[in-house]
Amino acid sequence: MKFFDSWLDKSTESTIRGIAQHTSRRGFLGKLAGVVVGGAATLPLLPVARSQDSATPVPLEEGDTAGCDYWRYCAIDGFLCDCCGGSMNSCPPGTEMSPITWIGTCENPVDGKNYIISYNDCCGKSSCGNCLCMRNEGDRPVYNPRASNDLNWCLGTSSAAYHCSTAIVIGAALDE
Amino acid sequence: MKRLTFVALFITTSAFGQIQPEPGGVIETLPESWPAHWIIVQDGAFFHMNNGKYIVVDADSDNAAKRVKGSFDGSFISQFYQAKTRPEMYVSETFYSRGTRGVRTDVVTIYDKSTLAPTGEIVIPEKRASQMPMNYHIQLVDEEKFGLIYNFTPATSVSVLDMVGKAFLTEVPTPGCSLVYPMAGRAFASICTDGSMLSVQLDEEGKQASSARTDVFFDANGDALIEKAAMVDGVAYFPTFLGRMFPVDLNGETISVGDPWSLLGDGDEGWRPGGLSVTGTNAEGQIYMLMHPDGYEGSHKDPGAEVWIFDPESQRRVNRISLNLPAISIGLTHDDEPLMLATNINLEVDVYDATSGEYLRTLSGIGAETPFMLHGAN
Repeated sequence: MKFFDSWLDKSTESTIRGIAQHTSRRGFLGKLAGVVVGGAATLPLLPVARSQDSATPVPLEEGDTAGCDYWRYCAIDGFLCDCCGGSMNSCPPGTEMSPITWIGTCENPVDGKNYIISYNDCCGKSSCGNCLCMRNEGDRPVYNPRASNDLNWCLGTSSAAYHCSTAIVIGAALDE
Repeated sequence: MKRLTFVALFITTSAFGQIQPEPGGVIETLPESWPAHWIIVQDGAFFHMNNGKYIVVDADSDNAAKRVKGSFDGSFISQFYQAKTRPEMYVSETFYSRGTRGVRTDVVTIYDKSTLAPTGEIVIPEKRASQMPMNYHIQLVDEEKFGLIYNFTPATSVSVLDMVGKAFLTEVPTPGCSLVYPMAGRAFASICTDGSMLSVQLDEEGKQASSARTDVFFDANGDALIEKAAMVDGVAYFPTFLGRMFPVDLNGETISVGDPWSLLGDGDEGWRPGGLSVTGTNAEGQIYMLMHPDGYEGSHKDPGAEVWIFDPESQRRVNRISLNLPAISIGLTHDDEPLMLATNINLEVDVYDATSGEYLRTLSGIGAETPFMLHGAN
């Protein structure tokens, strides 16, 4: 049972802590400021719409995209779409991607740089049930929505049913 | 083959004629007032969210078959409130006309404690926040005459309900502020993204009469308040990620924020609060905190290895309980000899003597898959 495994990993200590220790959340707001696009006039401080025309080059990366310790998943909480018929940045067939989301700042171990990750949920079907992954680096409570993974981000979709979560690079984090 | 059939029919017919047939159609009921150690296990059904449930269990029982007393449903990560002044329970939930699609309807379903059957519902705006279960999504105030439901679309607001007339009244915007904490009288508080809190006074029709904001008193991006406050005598005690405790008095017309104190003493470095449901209180007003060692950025939902018990008056730890298995959620019964309940990392419910800390039993096999929250019965 993946859910149980996830909790057990956390209780017995594992790779997650190692990742946490070398991934900094310092300067989170400053970094965020560089990538917030759209909606700012009406929803200040709320989650971002995905940037469609980022000039940031695609980062070089390596690892198992279906593994919870993959670098992009540093603030994810949910089922990895990579195990559900989608991928780390696409939704499974027949679902609908939420246009708004929460974000994290994760360090790519290949180039040592921080990237802003948009965790868009895929919606409209029951829970995928595979590859439950919960990592909470930079996660904050629900009153701080843009940084909270306790929310069901199937908002602005035709159905709020949660299926799985993607992890989409939307930009490089700005240096402090 | 024919002969065997004949013999079987003969026995059946013969037996039928000799015993009193049992009555059919019997449905059990529960007492209106439940024993103090009955609990309500809230199963969020994370793997199929549109059919979660609440299981009523006798936490004193070692009889695995008979300790389950019944259950009722909750759809799409529902939220829960037990009335204190009447034998009712409320579940705020969401339905789609075609299961996971179609027309959305949000309701507060009213359950009777004796029958565990729905006795009514209040249709509410299709805005209720779809978030992990916690106590401050649905609250009742003004001697339980008014109900409050937290909305997130992602615009934030509160739906106000008439819980006597069983009707939706109005919606109060709470821009930048989330959740509902009960205040004295006809009022509620919310936590705001900027690190302040909002208080809203309602009029007799449930509309906003006035509102006020506290000064900014915490950093929502840094050592943030854990929103799962322990409530003692109208004071909400908010732990922080790094182990401070903020007392927030909700007994006045506006909010009064007290000075924070530390959960950590000498030698406690590295311990932090964490889990899914991290606070509990007993009838004495002591606060139970789920704690883990070697905390780090992102450990605030990790399972706890111990439960620390604090006296909020003296601001001191009075006991610590080493858990049989690490736990993600805790809860307590409300009586003078309370049980402490803990959802362990096997997603089973462990039962402890809340005073001595003695492990008593594990409530496995109760039909719960993801028992996110554990409620002592009122």
